[in-house]
This record gives sequence, C-alpha cells and structure tokens, in this order.
Amino acid sequence: MNDRNRHPDNNRSRRGPSGAGSEGPSDGRLVEVHSQLSRDKDEPAEGFSLTPIFIVFLFCGFGFWAGLYLTRNSGDFSPAAFDLNAPKAAVAGGPVAFEPDAAKGEKLFLANCAACHQATGLGVPGAFPPLAKSAWVAGSEERIIKAILAGLAGEIEVNGAKYNGNMPNIGAGLKDAQVAHIATYVRQAWGNTAEPVMDTKVAEVRKAIGNRGQYNPADLLKEHPLEAK
Amino acid sequence: MTQDNRSGRPQGRPPEGDARLSRVEAQLRGPFLLFFVSAVVWLLVASVLGVITALQQGSLAAGPFRDCEVFSYGRLVAVQRNLFVYGWGFNAFFALNLWLLSQLSRFELRNGWLATLGGAAWNLALTYGVAQIFAGHQNGFGLLEFPREVGPVLAVAFLLAGFWPIVAFARRPTGHTFASQWFVVGASFAFPLTYLLAQLLVLWQPASGVVQAIAHSWFVSNLLLLWIGASALAAVYYFLPKVLGRTISGYYLAPVAFWSFFFFAGWTGPAALLGSPVPLWIQSVGVVAGAMLIVPVIITAINFHGTLSAESGWSRAWNDTTLRFVSFGAVAFTLFGLLNAVFGFRGYNATVRFTSFAAGQEQLLAYAFATMVLFGAAYFVLPRLTGALWPSAKLVHVHFWATALGVIGSVVALLVGGWQAGKQLADASVSLPQVAKAGAAWQYVLTVSAVLLLVGAVAFALNAFGMILKSSAPASEGRHD
Repeated sequence: MNDRNRHPDNNRSRRGPSGAGSEGPSDGRLVEVHSQLSRDKDEPAEGFSLTPIFIVFLFCGFGFWAGLYLTRNSGDFSPAAFDLNAPKAAVAGGPVAFEPDAAKGEKLFLANCAACHQATGLGVPGAFPPLAKSAWVAGSEERIIKAILAGLAGEIEVNGAKYNGNMPNIGAGLKDAQVAHIATYVRQAWGNTAEPVMDTKVAEVRKAIGNRGQYNPADLLKEHPLEAK
Repeated sequence: MTQDNRSGRPQGRPPEGDARLSRVEAQLRGPFLLFFVSAVVWLLVASVLGVITALQQGSLAAGPFRDCEVFSYGRLVAVQRNLFVYGWGFNAFFALNLWLLSQLSRFELRNGWLATLGGAAWNLALTYGVAQIFAGHQNGFGLLEFPREVGPVLAVAFLLAGFWPIVAFARRPTGHTFASQWFVVGASFAFPLTYLLAQLLVLWQPASGVVQAIAHSWFVSNLLLLWIGASALAAVYYFLPKVLGRTISGYYLAPVAFWSFFFFAGWTGPAALLGSPVPLWIQSVGVVAGAMLIVPVIITAINFHGTLSAESGWSRAWNDTTLRFVSFGAVAFTLFGLLNAVFGFRGYNATVRFTSFAAGQEQLLAYAFATMVLFGAAYFVLPRLTGALWPSAKLVHVHFWATALGVIGSVVALLVGGWQAGKQLADASVSLPQVAKAGAAWQYVLTVSAVLLLVGAVAFALNAFGMILKSSAPASEGRHD
C-alpha cells in the first residue's frame, strides 16, 4: 500500500512508464527532447529550416491586413451600424444620419453671429436685435433658416423694440450641417426652447429659395407668421 | 529526482504488479474504459440516427417514421448532433485527454471513482436530455437543445470527469511541458467556462436582443474549436512523434500555434452571424479571427506535415493503423483551417449562407479531423490498457475505408452541394423547387456516406468491444508484443 502511494518518479527513472515499450520513444523522452528543441533555437538541428523569416513576414502581413479590414468594415465600431452596404453617412452614424449639436452650434455662432447679436444673444439695443426669447427664432424652422441663409434688410420689430436691420447672408457661405448646428444652438440657448433643426431641412430650404437677396422682414413674416406664444 | 536513466533505453519489464500495465495506466483503466465504451455506444446511436435523418432529408414526404411525431426530422437531427458531440466527442476526449496527460505527466489517478462518478452523471444527464428532446422539449439553439436543467448537471459532471488532465498537469514532476499538454489543459479550461456562460446568457438569464445570438455563436465555435479541435490537436502532437519515433519538425513554432489558436478561436463565432442585425464590428471581428486562425493552421501544418514528410514518414504512417487515422485527421484540419479562413469573407460567405456548407465545415472539423484522430488514438491506447490484441485486422480495414470514404463523401456533398445551392439561390431565375431538385444527387451521396460511416462505426465497435471482453476474461492471455 505504501508503495502504491509513492509517486512513480521516486523509484523509477525519468523515462517514466512506457508500458509495453515497443512503440516509439517513451513519453519522458518525448517531452525532454521537444523541450530541448524549443530552448535551443539557434542550434542547426534536424527539422530547422529557413521558414521562420518567411513566416514572420507572412504573419505580420496577416496582422496588418486584419487591422485594415477591421477599421474598414466595422462602421467605426458603432453599436448601431449593422449593414456594410448602407450609405456611408448612415453607416457612420447609424440610423440617425445627422445629430444637431448645440455645442458645435455655439462655436459657429461665436465665429459668425456674435459680432452683432453678442455672445449673450441679447444683441445691442438700438442697433442689433436680440435672439434670446425672440419669437423670430422659435417656431417655424424655415423662418430662421431663411434668415440665416439669405439675410434680412429693413425695419424689424423684435420683443417690442424696432430695429433697422441689415443682416448679411451669413449662411450662404456655410454648409447645411453648420447652419443646422447654429440654428439649433440659437433655438435652444438663453432660455429658448424650440426644436432642433436638421441639415436636411436646411438643404431643402436652400434649394427652395435659390440664390436670392436679403429678405424684407415684413415679407418673411408673410411667409412664416410669428407663432402665438 | 533520479537522473540515472536519461538515455531512453528500454528497461525491460516494469518492476512490480501487472506484467503489462504501468501503474499510471493501471490506475486509469476503469474510468478510461467507462468513457470509451459510452463514447462508442453513443457513436453507434448517432450513426444510426445519421442514416435515418439522411433518408428523411432526402425524401421528406416518404422518409422513415414520417407519421411518428417522436421521430420527426426536427427532433432526430437535434438528437443526432447532440449525441455525436456530447456523447461521442466528450466521452472519447475525456478518455483520451486523461490518458494523454497521465502519460505525459506521469500521473497516477488515485481518485478514479470521482472520474467514474462524473462519467456516469454525464451520460445519465445526456440520456435525460435526449429523452426530453424526443418528447418535444428542446431549445431553439444548436448544441444547447437540451432543457436547461441538464446544463448544470453536465457542467458538474464535466468538472468531475474532465478536469483530471489539469490535476495531472499541475502535479507533473518535470518543469518542462509538451505541446499536447498545453492543448489539453487549454481545452479543459475553455469548455466549462464557455458552457456555463452560454447556459447563463442563452437559457437561464437570457440576454436581451442579439446578445443571445452572439453568445450562442460564441459558444458553438468554442465548443467545436476549443474543446474538440484543441483536444484533437493535442492527440496529433502526441502520436506523430510517438509512433514515428522522431521529433516534431519546426517544434519551436508550436507555442505560437497554441497561443494564436486559443486567442483567435474564441473570436470566430460571430462569423456565423454575418449579414444578421448584429453590430458590424462584431461580425468583422469574427471574419478577422477566422482568417487569423490561419496562423495556427499554417504552424500545425508545418509541424504535422513536416514531420510526416521527412524520411518517408507518409508511407510509414500509411502502414501504421494509428498514424493512418491520425494523419488523415491532420490533413483534414489543415483543409478546415483554409476553408474557414476563405469562407469567412463576406463575399464567399454570402453565397454559402443558409446552405449545407456550414454543416460541411463542422463535419470536416468534428468527423474528418477529430473523430479520425480519436479512432487512431484508440488503436494505440486500447491494446495497452486491455493487454489484448485487436481481434480482427479485417475489421480494422473495413473501419478505415468505410469511415474515410464516408467522411470524404459527406464533407464533399455538404460543401459542394452547399456551394451549388447557394449559387442557385442567389440566381433569381432559378426557382426553389429547382434548387431542391439539383440538390437531390448530393442528398443521395449524403445518404450513402451516412451508411458508410455507420458501417465504419459498427466495425470499430465490434473490434473494440471484442477486445475489451477478451481482456476482461479471467484466463491469462498471451502478450501481443
């Protein structure tokens, strides 16, 4: 019994038990020889050929390809991208192609609009009308888009004060998405609470009005009357 | 640590006890035979069911049991696949992995009754699960069809029956290890982990939406590659140098094969979900992992075919029963890896999606590779454990030729038939009945192949059971060597 509980290695050689011992090398020998093989990499032993350098390049190539394939076919790792053949914009952003972004809108606003309307959106009394709490920017999307795209020229009444407006066609030089970001920002900043504006809407309006001059505020009001609060 | 006999010269007969068995082998004889016999029984049942399902698929209107609900195609095909994988694939690798690591780690299985208990629990749970499928209670997830209460039992049974290789590895007396040991240890860790997680995410606490499908595809690929594939690779790494008496050529690459295989195989699952509403990046990761699996496939090809190519190894392999099966499997694995890489790509995959092609790939991996290697291993191990000879050389030949032809036939029929059907399905001018009609010839090949596989399995079982019965007879038999 005592003998049974001893490890076979204690009273046997490292060759280990090889059973009938007729077929091939013993297992202990098998392990040893292969372990030696994997240690002594530089020995010119049997079975070593010039393949490794080729293999290294090949496998590096596979790795390179794998990286390329993953970046090109993964829809920017978006959880909402399912279909490789969907239009590019949809792949990148999923089902919603464009996301109106007030933060981007703020940057664009400061660069293009704040000189007159001020960063506070309050304008300059007597010279430039305010945007904050202005009924002109809330309500109809088309009104604000048209104002940004084509500009305004003429007498305009905002929040009970009259201004002799002359707003250039700032939006004509901006992309649809940029105009949409600005409009979204204006409609949602300084206490304004109107709906965001989509770039598709901007494109639609831009196409409809064509290449025209500044709107007269009164004409613009005829097209898009101020909504009752 | 005694170092007195490193020359590797034969030492004559072992010092005490049985004249034939080493103590290592004597200890694991009981559990090994339990696993092996149950494996062969399940293989026989699965082969019979394979013939029936092939007949049913060939002529749905007039196949056998067409009026019997219990034996309807949907149930039989699920039972067949589960029995083949969980019955044959697991029991056989329980036995082989245990034997392999006991040999390589010189491990004496002291608590064999635990392994026996695990084996009994495994097979009882399997029987219950199969009965439930016949009764109509199956889940809709391939290879997880058993009702969910079977899952925990199988997991515990696996720990009892399939964890001994890890114990053997942990207790090995030597510091250095061999490729076979890595693959078996990896496989023994990978399966219980993936099985428990899949049970949890798919059946017990179903994850919402597509996560369930992703978890399922992950499970299937892990089961096939990391359990069946890795275990079979371990066997090839062992038997080639063992029987040829030669070192593995390019052996220093084997660690790369091991790590890359285990790293990439776990990611290949989502390739099965190409074109489904699963986030693109998950699908692409599956494609890339399947393609990168070519790295271990190339290395194992260098290892296996390089070893076989030197010094007329192929002809020696052909003349040795074990190696004939094992090298057949090694070639099949290389083919599988190449096909898997190419047909993971979206263009090719779009053609073969929804056809029998995936079944062909699974057949290539699980039968042409793993099962052939298992057969070869059985021809090597069983005589040593039973101390008897294989009763009939003729049956060995029948076994090899029937199985080889059957497996080649079924793989070709599934792959080529799948490719043709895919081409026709993509062609709007071909109607669905026409597609089915064109597939009828391949269906015929499949049926013949299933019969051949059954013949091979029966020949193997007759031979093996005859040998086991002979060895357990009380009279002392002659030595075969």
